[in-house]
Amino acid sequence: MAKRPPITNRVKELREAHGAMSQAALGEAIGVTRQTIIAIEQGRYSPSLESAFRISRVFGVGLEDVFGWAGD
Amino acid sequence: MSFHEKSAWVMGLIMIAGMAFYFRTVAAMSEGLEQLAPPVLPLVVVYIVVIVVLSIIGHIVIAVSRPSEADDMMDERDKLVAARAGNIAGLVLGIGLISALGGYLINYDGNQLFHAAFGVLMVSQIAEYAARIVYYRAEV
Repeated sequence: MAKRPPITNRVKELREAHGAMSQAALGEAIGVTRQTIIAIEQGRYSPSLESAFRISRVFGVGLEDVFGWAGD
Repeated sequence: MSFHEKSAWVMGLIMIAGMAFYFRTVAAMSEGLEQLAPPVLPLVVVYIVVIVVLSIIGHIVIAVSRPSEADDMMDERDKLVAARAGNIAGLVLGIGLISALGGYLINYDGNQLFHAAFGVLMVSQIAEYAARIVYYRAEV
């Protein structure tokens, strides 16, 4: 079984800051399912680089404003 | 729970039921013959038809229970889960088939080889659906 990815994220925080955008709406905006957004927020899945860029572009912030390395 | 995870549950349960049906029938036939029953085409056909029909019904039920998710395409996480689960299924299939062939080299029993190989195909499918469920619930 894979270990929990060492990547942290602020997706939930940013989503709530953007007019309480729903998980489904964010998923639709970047081309993944709502369940994948839930898994990303819970730290159970690290998105592909493309999806990571798409998420940061939806929120209008840089990649490192959304994702970080655990322990940094 | 996503459509694809529900699908894995449904298919896993159907495959377990199908496997139980097949081997219970083979066991009953073997009892009558007082030896391992040979593989028979009607049983294999019935098994396949039942699996196909049940999986169609199962997927209709899942789709009706949440129509908004029924046409969800596999996204990147679904594909990763499917690939990793497929890897496990391939491993199970490979080890199982080698074991079945090894059994044939010892017993020279073609009937046993058929049932073992068919059973291994079923077990590898069940392993794939079980692995998908585990990956969906844990970290990928």
